[in-house]
Amino acid sequence: MATDTTHADARSGTSPRGRKPKRPFLHRPAVVAMVFLLPFLVLYVVFRVYAVGYAVVLSFQEIQGIGSSEWTGLDNYRRVLTDRTGFTALRNTMLYTVGTLLVLIPVPFVLAAILRSRWVARQSMFRSILFLPVLTSLVVVGVVFSLLLSTNGLLNGFLGLFGVPAQAWLETRHLAIPAMIIMATWRWTGINIIYFTTGLSNIPDELYESAAVDGAGPIRQFWHLSVPLSKPIILFVTVLTIFGGFQLFVEPLVLWGSGGGPGQGGLSAVVHLYRTAFTSFDLGYASAIGVVLAAIIMVFSLIVLKAFGFFAKDR
Amino acid sequence: MLAITNPDRRRFRWGAVLIAGLLVAAGCGGSGDDDSAADGGGGADGGPQDVELEFWTFVDAHTDFMQARADEFNEQSDEYNIILNASSADFEDMHDRLLVALQSGSGAPDIVDIEIQRFATFLRGDVPLHPLTDIIDNHRSELVEERTAPYRADGVEYGIDYHLGAWVMYYNSEILDAAGVDVDSIVTWDDYIAAGQQVVENTDAWMASIETTDRFSVLGPMLQNGGGTYDENNELILDSAENIEALQLISDMVHEHEIATASAGGQHHSEPYYQALNEGQYASVWMPLWYVTRFKDFMPETEGKILIRPMPEFSSDGFISTMGGGTGTAITTQIDEDKVDAAKAFLEFAKLTYDAQVALYTDLGFDPFRNDVYDDEALTAPDPWFGNEPVMTNVQAMFDRLAPEFTGPRYPEAVLQLRDVVAYQVVEEGADPAEALRRAADEIRSLD
Repeated sequence: MATDTTHADARSGTSPRGRKPKRPFLHRPAVVAMVFLLPFLVLYVVFRVYAVGYAVVLSFQEIQGIGSSEWTGLDNYRRVLTDRTGFTALRNTMLYTVGTLLVLIPVPFVLAAILRSRWVARQSMFRSILFLPVLTSLVVVGVVFSLLLSTNGLLNGFLGLFGVPAQAWLETRHLAIPAMIIMATWRWTGINIIYFTTGLSNIPDELYESAAVDGAGPIRQFWHLSVPLSKPIILFVTVLTIFGGFQLFVEPLVLWGSGGGPGQGGLSAVVHLYRTAFTSFDLGYASAIGVVLAAIIMVFSLIVLKAFGFFAKDR
Repeated sequence: MLAITNPDRRRFRWGAVLIAGLLVAAGCGGSGDDDSAADGGGGADGGPQDVELEFWTFVDAHTDFMQARADEFNEQSDEYNIILNASSADFEDMHDRLLVALQSGSGAPDIVDIEIQRFATFLRGDVPLHPLTDIIDNHRSELVEERTAPYRADGVEYGIDYHLGAWVMYYNSEILDAAGVDVDSIVTWDDYIAAGQQVVENTDAWMASIETTDRFSVLGPMLQNGGGTYDENNELILDSAENIEALQLISDMVHEHEIATASAGGQHHSEPYYQALNEGQYASVWMPLWYVTRFKDFMPETEGKILIRPMPEFSSDGFISTMGGGTGTAITTQIDEDKVDAAKAFLEFAKLTYDAQVALYTDLGFDPFRNDVYDDEALTAPDPWFGNEPVMTNVQAMFDRLAPEFTGPRYPEAVLQLRDVVAYQVVEEGADPAEALRRAADEIRSLD
């Protein structure tokens, strides 16, 4: 029938005479997609692709002072290998990253599981309260933690209840990393709980009910259901924590300014990069540090992905 | 009736897009010559020419000080009417933005405050600051010459400070009295140590506090002993014999004589330290003279108790003070060429003239670096907070025994080594001062 033919033609995008109707240029799907994507693409190319590319180019130059640059090949990368302060900063950063992984994965996961359980009422209220630190101004965080971690501060007062002597958290080299981990725990536990709660809510209740019927208690349900079935979200949070750990910058900055903390105990790789770029104005070497740091983060992330069997799915 | 056909509509749409694009481009384009020096008013009728100057600083009080000087300048000048757009930002943020603006070639202010620790960064490569030697020359015979050294490169001065920053010893007379120590009997460092032992034995206070996360405690005695980071020939002297002797003295005070300890909060600019000093936990502290403002602002209990004296001497013919901290005001090369003369005239008026130097004391509480103002009645008046003594007159008495500070190309890194590594290792970990300084110097030398 004529009507059916017309509908079929319309669906197939051809005119009754077999020609495609000519759409206005601005209405073509590809053009529309491009128009909507263009602002993002322009910003991404200018502020990301170009910036990263330019940093790689700078890493092969010696730039000391304004208006001076010289190609030096791999000299900056060789310098990375002999940079004592750089190694101190890298060691601090890795210790911090490991510390945050040990705290910021299990603690929020357990808290998320508890929050999701039937024993906790007003779950959304607790989630909101735990999320508040993420929204707190960093200046405020810095001031609060300077007071909290001072020798006469609240933390020492609390530890004193258990007979632990007062510690100079911000003035002792080996306590600088724990101080930053304490601060990171306060800041990031809430957001990680949100991530884990989202992951846990995707596990069907029927599985828990079946396990309960089979006699599994809450702890066995946690170990044998919640943990394995949350593997993707645990992987996601782990990689994010590694990124955050290696990009450690704000915590030492608000606690010790641009100094490296007591005996460089709080000097992170990114603070070292920042000081090389802006205090020394050695942009070439700072760029090389940035490139090496990016490579280290990539390697660590790949190791974690491999360990979690992320690539196994592709086979 | 006006009818728009399909092709017309399409043409109209493309036309609208084109016009919108042109409007956006025009809006983004800027007006090129709008920022020229004349800035509109003044000049043409023979009156003073309006000159708009952008000024960046990281100290709020400096904006008020410079604005007040601009008002005075405009009252007196027939040639220029300065319109000062002053803005204050966080220390790191301001210096970083300045560096980026100067490197990228646009966005820098006309006049800027650069802290002494960061100044050397701007003297590498093509110096993006205008030489100020000519305006300093106009007053050189009146100035404490040593204060121009930190802002000099290859014999050219690029910055003018806000103060002399003479290093002094602040004694808590109440604690010293309780310990039976006469403050004026302390002349040498040996006297100081002996007095410290009396203080520790007879009171609950320490004689001194040493910073472990800042530079002042270690750098002051080093400079006073003729050391420091660089000499006048731009040679790094971080591991010089003078520095080692000074640092050994500090180490001995902590570990051998046990009269000094690491300062609360790690530095003399922290809340815990202000609290401890206010409560009388330390009988003395050596800091530059601008630290008087910290007593008045943060340590109310010290009112009337603090006496200011020269640093104890290493030798009878040696220095009894030096200079510490500082902020150089500079003119950037991004200023319009036709504003340079006005900016220099204003900076000379605001920083180097007699009245401006008196104002450095009356407005900011700083010790001026112009000799002749010390006889002004504003500076000779006794200060009740500091034992009712004429503090500035006593400072002037040190001028002939004042060690200069030279800042070479790696001054920022040398300071970081002192504050991050050396002070902590020596004070907290008992490291050998000579070894700690040698490692720090090696680290700095390895950068070039």
